[in-house]
Amino acid sequence: MKLLKYTFIISLVTLLSCQIDEIQDPNNPSVIAIENNASRNELQLLVSGVESEMRDEMGFYYDVLGIIGREYYFFTNSDPRYTGEVLGKGEATLDDAGFYGTRPYAGRYKVVKDANILMTAAQNAADPLSDSELKGFTGFAKTTQAYSLLLVLNMQYQNGIRIEVSDPENLGPFKDYSTALGDISSLLDAGYADLNTAGSEALFFLSEGFVFNGLDELESLKQFNRAIKARVELYRGNKTAALSALSDSFFDLAGSLNMGPSHFYDAAGTDLPNPVYRTPNGSEALAAQPSYVTDIRAGDDRINKVAMRTSPATLDGLTSNYDVVIYSSISSNIPIIRNEELILIYAEANIGTNNTEAASALSIITSAHGLGNYTGALTDSELVDELLYNRRYSLFGEAHRWIDMRRYDRLDQLPIDRPGDDVWTQLPRPVSEIGVQGG
Amino acid sequence: MKVYRIVCMVILFLCSGFLLQAQELKVSGTVTDALSGEGIAGVNVVVKGSSTGTITSVNGNYSISVNSGSILQFSFVGYVTEEFTVSSSTLNVTMTEDVTSLQEVVVSGLASTVKRTNLANSVASISGAELTGIATQQTMDGALYGKFKGANISANSGAPGGGISIKLRGLTSINGSNEPLYIIDGVYIDNSAISAGLNVVSQAAGGGSQSNQDNPSNRIADLDPEDIQSIEILKGASAAAIYGSRASGGVIIITTKKGQQGKAQISLSQTLGWTQILNPLGQRSWDETKVAASFGASEVPNFVAARNAGKLVDYEDELYGNKGLLSTSRITVTGGGDKTTYFVAATRKNDDAIVKNTGYEKSSFRLNLENALSDRVKLNLNTNYIESSTDRGLFSNDNSGATMGVSFVSTPSWAQLLPDANGNYPNNPYSASNFLQTRDLITNNESVKRIITGLNLDAILLKKDNMSLRLNARGGIDNYTLVTNAIFPNTLQFQKDGNGTNGVSIQGTTTNRNTNVAAFLIHDFFPGSSGLSFRTQFGITGENFDRDNIVGTATFLNGSQTNLDQSGSVTIEQDRLIQKDRGFFAQEEVNLNDQIIATIGLRGDKSSNNGDPNKLYYYPKASLAVNLTEFSFWSISTINQLKMRVAYGEAGNFAVFGDKFISLEPVNINGSSGLTVSNLLGNQEIGPERQKELEAGIDVTALNNKISLDFTYYVKTVEDLLLRAQIPASTGQTTKVQNAAEMVNKGIEIGLNANVISTSTLNWKSRLSYWKNNTEVTRLDVPSFTTGGFADFLGQYRIKEGHSPTEIIGVGPNPDEDGLVVFGDAQPDFNLSFLNSVTWKNFELSMLWHWKKGGDNINLTALLSDLAGTSPDYDKIDLDPDGQLGNGDYRLSVLGANTEPYIEDASYIRMREIGLYYNLPKSVIGDFLNSVKVGFSGRNLINIFDYRSYDPEVSNFGGKGLSSSVEVTQYPSSKNYNFHLLVKF
Repeated sequence: MKLLKYTFIISLVTLLSCQIDEIQDPNNPSVIAIENNASRNELQLLVSGVESEMRDEMGFYYDVLGIIGREYYFFTNSDPRYTGEVLGKGEATLDDAGFYGTRPYAGRYKVVKDANILMTAAQNAADPLSDSELKGFTGFAKTTQAYSLLLVLNMQYQNGIRIEVSDPENLGPFKDYSTALGDISSLLDAGYADLNTAGSEALFFLSEGFVFNGLDELESLKQFNRAIKARVELYRGNKTAALSALSDSFFDLAGSLNMGPSHFYDAAGTDLPNPVYRTPNGSEALAAQPSYVTDIRAGDDRINKVAMRTSPATLDGLTSNYDVVIYSSISSNIPIIRNEELILIYAEANIGTNNTEAASALSIITSAHGLGNYTGALTDSELVDELLYNRRYSLFGEAHRWIDMRRYDRLDQLPIDRPGDDVWTQLPRPVSEIGVQGG
Repeated sequence: MKVYRIVCMVILFLCSGFLLQAQELKVSGTVTDALSGEGIAGVNVVVKGSSTGTITSVNGNYSISVNSGSILQFSFVGYVTEEFTVSSSTLNVTMTEDVTSLQEVVVSGLASTVKRTNLANSVASISGAELTGIATQQTMDGALYGKFKGANISANSGAPGGGISIKLRGLTSINGSNEPLYIIDGVYIDNSAISAGLNVVSQAAGGGSQSNQDNPSNRIADLDPEDIQSIEILKGASAAAIYGSRASGGVIIITTKKGQQGKAQISLSQTLGWTQILNPLGQRSWDETKVAASFGASEVPNFVAARNAGKLVDYEDELYGNKGLLSTSRITVTGGGDKTTYFVAATRKNDDAIVKNTGYEKSSFRLNLENALSDRVKLNLNTNYIESSTDRGLFSNDNSGATMGVSFVSTPSWAQLLPDANGNYPNNPYSASNFLQTRDLITNNESVKRIITGLNLDAILLKKDNMSLRLNARGGIDNYTLVTNAIFPNTLQFQKDGNGTNGVSIQGTTTNRNTNVAAFLIHDFFPGSSGLSFRTQFGITGENFDRDNIVGTATFLNGSQTNLDQSGSVTIEQDRLIQKDRGFFAQEEVNLNDQIIATIGLRGDKSSNNGDPNKLYYYPKASLAVNLTEFSFWSISTINQLKMRVAYGEAGNFAVFGDKFISLEPVNINGSSGLTVSNLLGNQEIGPERQKELEAGIDVTALNNKISLDFTYYVKTVEDLLLRAQIPASTGQTTKVQNAAEMVNKGIEIGLNANVISTSTLNWKSRLSYWKNNTEVTRLDVPSFTTGGFADFLGQYRIKEGHSPTEIIGVGPNPDEDGLVVFGDAQPDFNLSFLNSVTWKNFELSMLWHWKKGGDNINLTALLSDLAGTSPDYDKIDLDPDGQLGNGDYRLSVLGANTEPYIEDASYIRMREIGLYYNLPKSVIGDFLNSVKVGFSGRNLINIFDYRSYDPEVSNFGGKGLSSSVEVTQYPSSKNYNFHLLVKF
């Protein structure tokens, strides 16, 4: 009996003193481990992660900008906000916790975070990188960060945005619209400088959507960087700087209008499907705002970006006879920036200084779409009207209309569908930022 | 430190008493029931103030050697305890049934048992007869409704096969689990609700909410409620000592039936019945004007054509109008000899449901063995094998129009959805799917194969007159494989012709294995005649949890193939969970003549889920019960018992698995895999939540134990609440786990039991229970935030200091400083249940009523119906303050500006259960049969509520955390009618 008692006591002491082994995450790798000791292969995983995340939550970005910019409606029985808050129906206002604003916002900053992890991991790689090898990674990281921040700023506009976010406990301040644009421009320059010292070949690869026109990774990135730089400088009103950036980009007056990097989408496996594509003629419809068809000029082939429905789509007091058909399937890529936009940037940057050159650039666009050369007056105001017409139809569904009308202070010219609807100037600052670290 | 503690404990239980010798007398007799005169088997016969005792045989006979002059105590569950001073060698005893159940013995979260009279906690317990004796229960959890004070039980939907959430004494966690721990015969039972991966079809997590909305059943539903002997509910930290940090949501301790000594007794039962929709709402009645207003003028000709052709369809009846057949067959055999007893039960259940092609099937087999290895060593083995299969259909929220619920509310009565003669279904022009086609062609099946085994060893290591030392060792395994099989063929409207992905097959397999071991030493010591007794217990516990969930999703199916290989694209997801917990428990109980009972104890816990897996967290407890009626000064004879009690205890709640990891998640682009940071920022310093519960109460029994009243007040504080707090999205992540809040629950529980009439032919027992709880967030280290719904303007919960965590906010006039308006609270004002059982001659009639007062729901079924113009109350005018607009138009007119119309009172009064049974007289059934009972029962036959949907009991997000009470086109609830036949041989 005593023996039993002692056995029990011994086993008890053993059990109590036994240690529970630390359990590693059985499902995922750890950020800290990869930041401190990444292999080359893991750096590639991080690069692919950044590129993949650049697509994440972009459906909300395109839809919200398209809906507020009165390019199209999104009809769904499952959520009333697309025809309510986003169009400012009645008394409804935008919600600072609404997914249509918070999710694309968070998605863009996730790219910034992933790119920061990539830069730290590349710096501390298990097998140290040479300086030029490292610059390839940092050039990619800074370029994608700058592009992501630009999209955040497009949504937040005069609210301003945080630029410096590498330390989550110590976030940088909100910078106003023009300061933030300047910071984004500088970040693009820093990325461009890194890419230019990255040697002849990158240690990583990108998707077949991102590399374009037969270029390799580094060259695609450099030209993409300059294209975005041109867009940013145009937004800043620095037309000369925009023209100069264009010259280092893939801008080509004679080139294909669709040339440029794009977000890769595929229905296969765990890849992401194109989030903007909706099957035509469905009850859940991405339907063109009726003025797209009523305002278009006769013969303009950009009418093919919409298709007549077999029966009208109606929801919540809105009706449209046309579906948006800019993408043919859920496997269609979404362009990030195209030569067509660069030509339009070129035209816009020339207005006021070289209106003839602006008109001939616009003529390239109008001719390409079946309208022949521009024959209007060469005054600034007529050229701006022509420019905005072409930006509206050439970049339909690519999240430009709202920003363009805002840049030219013409939001009041956007069509109102129902009495009491509002055209918003910007999305509210997400609730998660309010009252926290200077937000 | 650890060694010192152990030495102390060892000294405590080694301290042995001394032997007393006195003159012995052999006493024997029979214990009989006062009403029937039949012998009672299994009565505990104990010499008061010692551990000497025996139990009565099958016929109620006993014999025991005692010192003359000793007091013999006779106790048995359900009877009033009797005491007699021994004066002769024969002592026959009659025992009367105890309506107040004060004398029963409860486990009370310890290795030993405690008499209810000596208990300092309010421990609710019910017998198997109360659980399943009135009406047939489909699932174990569903049988608990309205039967326990302090338990808020709510079904997530009416889908067959369960899906129920239980909260004991308010909320104990905001992000962690609020669900109680289930222990069956000492085995830790898994109660997960595991998703079948339907989001790929429903895309429910694609918009405002990123939570899973598959509405799976929870695994406690697998148990057969008929196997249960009794259930005890420990409602909080002060009671649930030995279960430590797993017990913060309370513990439901289930004891299954044991074998009875004697020749084999066989009983057969068959139940047959039907189920039908609980509360059909009807459909909006249409005319040309309304059609034009809601669907546009172009729809009017379609409507007129259908109306004139008599082809308006009542789709509510078409979809939810099925009368499902219910059938349960069961056989039990019990018997045994001196050493070994057995209980064998087999149940086969086959239930259809109110939607065609949905239903629940279960086969359960149980073998409980008890073997006395020697006089001092007893071994129990409990084994349960279960196979169940549930077809749940496709309901709840979506962002694709694919679920039957969303498609149904989008479709007007002139739509033509019925298949043609060749079985081809027309497309539904009003929705992305034809819900009749969906119902008939899809599969969404959960099937479970589960084995639960528990082993319990009781050994008396040492036994003397004034002391004993007992070892209790127990271990258990709960092992199951859950296979989910969801098939959406490419002939469906939402899969074919470029809609969806041309067919989806989702095949999931989850293997889950919980193992637990525990060992306790219990030392009883009676130091002489002072009336003092001591009970010391010490034990160690260990639990391991291991789950592996693999879901394969195939899209672009090859024709009608469903094998994952036969497809254009396959994705695999795997999710593993590994957790190890270790702990110890020690308690000292001092009892002075049953007058004063005091306990003090300590629990230590560590877990691999904590930031530091080897840090022990300590939780003390203490309690005091004073039985005034046991003191010699007590002279009021009408009051049989008056007890004052107070108990305090602490418990933890471990962090959720994964909360401490900062992880990278896999992504895929153009055939290359990549890594991206998780939305959740893990916290490597994460510790457990700490719950502190203080309860005080008074128990009174009067009028010869015919009436009893108990009153309990409790304050349950949860400190270091784990929050998945929102962090600025500009960090690149969206939430962080923090110990960042504190919450207080305060509540009262009142019970009144009465044996109203008790004669030889008529017996009427009545029980009234009342409970209420209020919760308040008393500390919040992060800014207030909203959670648990889709968006503020659609109603959400708000976590805010000084407010209830279940308050429902929205947008509206006169907003507060957060820009929000409080419109309600999901937590009910109070619950009241009223149980009456009457037996008259051979008839038994029982009825259980349940009133839930208050508590609000967010009714988004109404919203989706309004948007489609199909709400049954669309044209009724009782919401618009100006009395102008119909309800549908009114609700839509304020949508986005005022959430109030979609937040509704979810009060209800229900007749939960009714049962009427008749025992055939012996003269009719003859000698071959022992007894034959026939009867009728019903569940939820009467329901009274104002809520504008199928049932106020509903939850789109299942039972997780805070997100209950949101309705988005759930599977409607049903009521059941059953006929019973029970034969005993």
